[in-house]
Amino acid sequence: MSRAAVLEGTGEALHPAGTRADELAAIERSWASPPGFLGWFTHVNHSNIGRRFVLTSFVFFLLAGILGLLIRLQLALPLAEVLDAESYNQVMTVHGTAMMFLFAIPAMEGIAIAIVPLMVGARDMAFPRLNAFGYYVYLIGGSVFFGSLFLGLAPGAGWFSYVPLAGPRFAPGYGVDIWTTMITFIEVSALTAAVELIVTILKLRAPGMSLDRMPIFVWAVLVMAFMILFAMPAVIVASSLLMMDRLIDTQFFVAEAGGSPLLWQHLFWFFGHPEVYIILVPALGMVTTVIVTFTRREVVGYNALVLAIVGIGMISFGLWVHHMYTTGLPFMGRSFFMAASSMIAIPSGVQVFCWIATLWGARIRMAAPMLWVLAFFAVFIAGGLTGVMVASVPFDRQVHDSYFIVAHFHYVLMGGAVFPLMAGVTYWFPKFTGRLLSERLGRWSVATVFAGFNLAFFPMHILGLQGMPRRIYTYLPEMGWGDLNLVSTSGSLLLAAGFAISLWNVARSLARGAPAGDDPWGAGTLEWATASPPLNSNFPEQPVVLGRNPVWDWARSGHRPIVGGLSITRRETMVTTLLDARPQSVQVLPGPTPWPFVSALVASASFFGLIFTPWAFVAGFFAAFLSFLAWFWPRKPWRED
Amino acid sequence: MRVRVAVDANQLDRFAPHTHPLWWGILGAVAIEAAVVATLLTSWFYLATQSAAWPPEGTAPPPILWPTVVLCLLPVSSMTMWWAGKGSDAGDARRLSLGLALSVLVACLVLGVRAVQMTAFDIRWDAHAYGSMLWVITGFHFTHVASAIVGTAAVTVLSFRGYFTPSRQLGVVVDTLYWYFVAAAYLPIYLVLYIAPRVLQ
Repeated sequence: MSRAAVLEGTGEALHPAGTRADELAAIERSWASPPGFLGWFTHVNHSNIGRRFVLTSFVFFLLAGILGLLIRLQLALPLAEVLDAESYNQVMTVHGTAMMFLFAIPAMEGIAIAIVPLMVGARDMAFPRLNAFGYYVYLIGGSVFFGSLFLGLAPGAGWFSYVPLAGPRFAPGYGVDIWTTMITFIEVSALTAAVELIVTILKLRAPGMSLDRMPIFVWAVLVMAFMILFAMPAVIVASSLLMMDRLIDTQFFVAEAGGSPLLWQHLFWFFGHPEVYIILVPALGMVTTVIVTFTRREVVGYNALVLAIVGIGMISFGLWVHHMYTTGLPFMGRSFFMAASSMIAIPSGVQVFCWIATLWGARIRMAAPMLWVLAFFAVFIAGGLTGVMVASVPFDRQVHDSYFIVAHFHYVLMGGAVFPLMAGVTYWFPKFTGRLLSERLGRWSVATVFAGFNLAFFPMHILGLQGMPRRIYTYLPEMGWGDLNLVSTSGSLLLAAGFAISLWNVARSLARGAPAGDDPWGAGTLEWATASPPLNSNFPEQPVVLGRNPVWDWARSGHRPIVGGLSITRRETMVTTLLDARPQSVQVLPGPTPWPFVSALVASASFFGLIFTPWAFVAGFFAAFLSFLAWFWPRKPWRED
Repeated sequence: MRVRVAVDANQLDRFAPHTHPLWWGILGAVAIEAAVVATLLTSWFYLATQSAAWPPEGTAPPPILWPTVVLCLLPVSSMTMWWAGKGSDAGDARRLSLGLALSVLVACLVLGVRAVQMTAFDIRWDAHAYGSMLWVITGFHFTHVASAIVGTAAVTVLSFRGYFTPSRQLGVVVDTLYWYFVAAAYLPIYLVLYIAPRVLQ
């Protein structure tokens, strides 16, 4: 049934015995988001918020990508003068920070917020208003952080803000203060999304979707959310301590007064290494999803894949010291972390073999999402190989702080996150816009990005081995690094052109793409069992799940079990038990409200104030309390809620 | 395709305060806060191992009397919270209001004791990393008690206005859960800040 027909209540009934068309229209009205500019600030439905997260993160991707191009232009020739040293430092810092904190994490979370409730058959997430709050926090914090660049106030101490370089003595001015406050602030948004996703996955799954029937992507998101839960507090503590070192003269990282610069590195990398896997794990879930759909068979080794994802999540917390091999740690410690770092290859290998087994002998449909996945294989495996190399202490000490590392982490981050993300976005685009992308432009984009990426980053391996250090804004002609740098810069332009093709593809499809229909790929998971774009209520009749690919199961058995008895005039969704997803109770969800936006504004103002005065903390505490009070205060009439 | 109603949600509970997703959400918030406490205390030990003297020469460990009073007061306030919750389960709105108000009072007492105790610290936060740690961990817990107080004060006001019933008491249940956490988080903080410097010396 079409979306318009549902909204007008004119369509045919989904089935003769159950929900009638006028009831469907009533359900859709109870879940509707108010229109208009002011209405925009009151939306809480997960599909709206998820879409905003993804869109905003791609805007930051574009901006930070342009900064990357600036870096490459500066380095294209020896002694180039595109950027001076100070601007180069700011551009490099904002490029790295924005790509990690403003693009990669929010993009993954955004896709999870948009897709996971649909995949588990829920009508929304557990805390829709918190979702909206997290989005505004991210939007405001990210914009302030990025905006500092245009005022020339941006931080210049690198995305890792190592002390003492980032301390009050060597980084005066507001740059690093903006980094510490805004990073702390944006992490709040990551944490709210993590709690939200965990509770939604554990408690709001459709009846019958026991843990062993959950799609692999949902497993991956669950692991990602738990990793955020335990990794982000470390960076929040670290950036808060640095904030205090700079604002109220605490001595946490000052060696002369009993502090330790190494404490910063430990805290930062205790977050920073899991962070890499926080981005990678959901990407692996996307890869599996695409492979299942485009081979049209159940994944081989479901249990092994789930265990591998959980294993990666756990091991990733035991690796952080491999960023610190050259800091003079005890030999024993280094050996331990070398072994742990190599161990990550085991679960990663298990996954790759499961994928190969699934692809083996299947008739693979070579559409654009699948091509992105194949490109992911090539790039990520190359990055994984250099990863095994730098996991070893003697090798790492040779290439540390050289362009070899820059090459390595762009291979794993672009390969491990951006290629799968492009696969995911291409795959789910029809679901969220109702339109198909051009297949031809998609192929051109994959090919151009793949060629441009390798041209841009492969030469950096060689430059690193030739001794070119990282984080330098220029180099002398006598070093002989000019040619390869020029190759790299031309590759980066090609890479940008490849993404521009995708951007054009999206714009073109939004304007005049072919209608997608509910399930353009013939996929088996629940997000394809609703209209495109999804109905306000996701599912007018919540499904009951009997297998891993419900849509395929329905087609095979010829019947579709559903949940009956949910209200049509208020927002209700099923709550089920944690392991077996047996029906437990019903959650009544809140409707549109502006208060999350107001709270986010108040919180932003307090964090922004912290750049200048510690009293902003006290003022912010009470202001935030008042806004939360207005948010949560029950509205009369009480009896009807 | 045939469609059949396999699960009927008509008779299911719409309020269910003890299994509500929000209860799990607060548990998530508690996990985050617990990770922050663990990170701060680990940092305390890390800096201790890196320093020649911890606390630094000439600095006495913080006096132990008032922290021990706090250690006793926080469980008392948790017990009044528990007592209030039992009253709420039984539909006794007066007992709920009374228990909540008592808890807030005891917690305010805790804040007062904490404030007195902080003035007795032998070192400022900007003198040495030890002082920074001491002040920041104490301030962190102070802020949590303060936020538990203002949150519970709001719940108390609602309770006096007759908002809560045995089926609609989610606010009480999740507020109590957070309260227990704030009280329990003090134990490791107490052990590290006040006992460890004496034992390790």
